[in-house]
Amino acid sequence: MATDFDVEFIEDTEREARFLVRGITPAFANGIRRAILADVPTLSIDTVRFVENSSVLFDEVLALRMGLVPLTTPEGEFDEDDTVTLAIDVEGPATAYSGDLVSPDPQVEPADENIPLIELKDGQRLEAEAEAKLGRGRDHAKFQGGVAVGYRHLQHVEVGDDASEYGEDEAQIVRGVIEDGDELVATSEFGHDLTNRYPGKEVTVEDVPNAFVFHVESDGSMPVDELVLRAVDTLSTRADELREKVSL
Amino acid sequence: MVPVRCFTCGTVIGEHWEEFKARAANKEGDEDPAEVLDDLGLDRHCCRRMFVSHQDLVDVVSPYQ
Amino acid sequence: MDLRVIEQQDTELTIEIAGEDHTFMNVLKGALLELDDVAAATYDQNPEQSGGQTEPVLTLKTEGAKPLDCLEQGATLVDEQMNEFRTAFENAR
Repeated sequence: MATDFDVEFIEDTEREARFLVRGITPAFANGIRRAILADVPTLSIDTVRFVENSSVLFDEVLALRMGLVPLTTPEGEFDEDDTVTLAIDVEGPATAYSGDLVSPDPQVEPADENIPLIELKDGQRLEAEAEAKLGRGRDHAKFQGGVAVGYRHLQHVEVGDDASEYGEDEAQIVRGVIEDGDELVATSEFGHDLTNRYPGKEVTVEDVPNAFVFHVESDGSMPVDELVLRAVDTLSTRADELREKVSL
Repeated sequence: MVPVRCFTCGTVIGEHWEEFKARAANKEGDEDPAEVLDDLGLDRHCCRRMFVSHQDLVDVVSPYQ
Repeated sequence: MDLRVIEQQDTELTIEIAGEDHTFMNVLKGALLELDDVAAATYDQNPEQSGGQTEPVLTLKTEGAKPLDCLEQGATLVDEQMNEFRTAFENAR
C-alpha cells in the first residue's frame, strides 16, 4: 500500500485538537491512540517526604493528590532516571494549591496553578519535598499526558431527494465530523442533527474508509501537537529496535 | 477535598472547583449548575458528575483531629 | 524488547516479543499483512492474570521468503509510515 497521509486540522488549540487523517489503517490509528495514552513519558510527583503534615488527610492521600497534578515536561531534557524535587510549605488557615509547589527548574512547573491540594485550618501546616520522575501512562494514570483520546470515522454525507412530506420528523443524529463535498463540518455546529442542516431532504451517511478524525486533549504537560509527535516517536523507536534485533 | 482529576477520563478538574462552588446554585451561588459547567468547559458527563456529586468534608472532620 | 524464537521453519516463524503490548504488536501485524511475501501474520497476547505465557507471540507465514527477512521489512515499513505521518502532521499545522 502506498501510504500517503493527508492531515487536516479542524480544531487546534494548545490543550485540545481535532484533526483528520486520510489514508490511515485502523491498526495504525489505534497504535497512535494507544501510544498517546500510555507511552508518552511525562513528569509526575512520585515520592513525597513529609516534614510536617497536620492536615486532615493522610500522607499517602496527599502524595497521590500531588502526583495527579500535571507538570510541564520539556522534550528531550530528561532521562528515564532523572528526578526534579519540588517543595511545598503552607501554613493554615489557608488552602494549599498546586501553584504552591515550588520548582527549582523553570521548565518544570505545575501546568495548572489553582488545583486545591488540601484546605488547612488554623494551626495546621503542610511542609514536604516532592520528587517528580518520568513515567508512562501504562504504569499510572498520573503519567498520562493525553486525556480522552479517541478517533471516529469521517462521515460522508450525500444529499438526496426531498423527504416525503408526510414522513415522520425524526432527528438524524450524527457525532463527529462530516464531509459535505469538500467541506469539513463538525457536527456540533448543527446540534449533531442532520435534519437541522438539511431540512426536508433525504440524506445518506457513510463512513469514509481509512479516514479518521482524531480528538486529542492534553492535560497540560505539553502542547497537543508535541504529544502526538512524541507518541509517533515512541512507536518508530520500537520499530527501529525490532529491525536492529532481527537483522543481527 | 475535590478530586484532582476526573475518575473516568483523567481531565484535570480540580482547578475549576472553587469557581463552580462559588457560582452554582446547588452550592453557594445562584446560577444554573449546568450553565456553569458549560462555561468551565466541562463537556463530558463523566467530568460533570465529579462536581455535581461532590461534597467537601474537611469542615466536618477537622474538629476531630 | 527481547526476542526469543520459539519455532522456525523455512516459511514459518513463531517468535516471542517480550516487553511489548497491543500498541506496537497490532501496528506491526497490520504492516506485515501489507507485505506481498507474507501469507499470514497474527499475534497472541494473554492477560497478565492468566499466568503462563503473557508476553505477545507473533506468528508469521510467508509465501516462500525467509520469515525473519519479512519481519525486518515489516519493522522498516512501520518506521517509514511513522515518519510519513510525522511529516504530514507537521506540514498540516
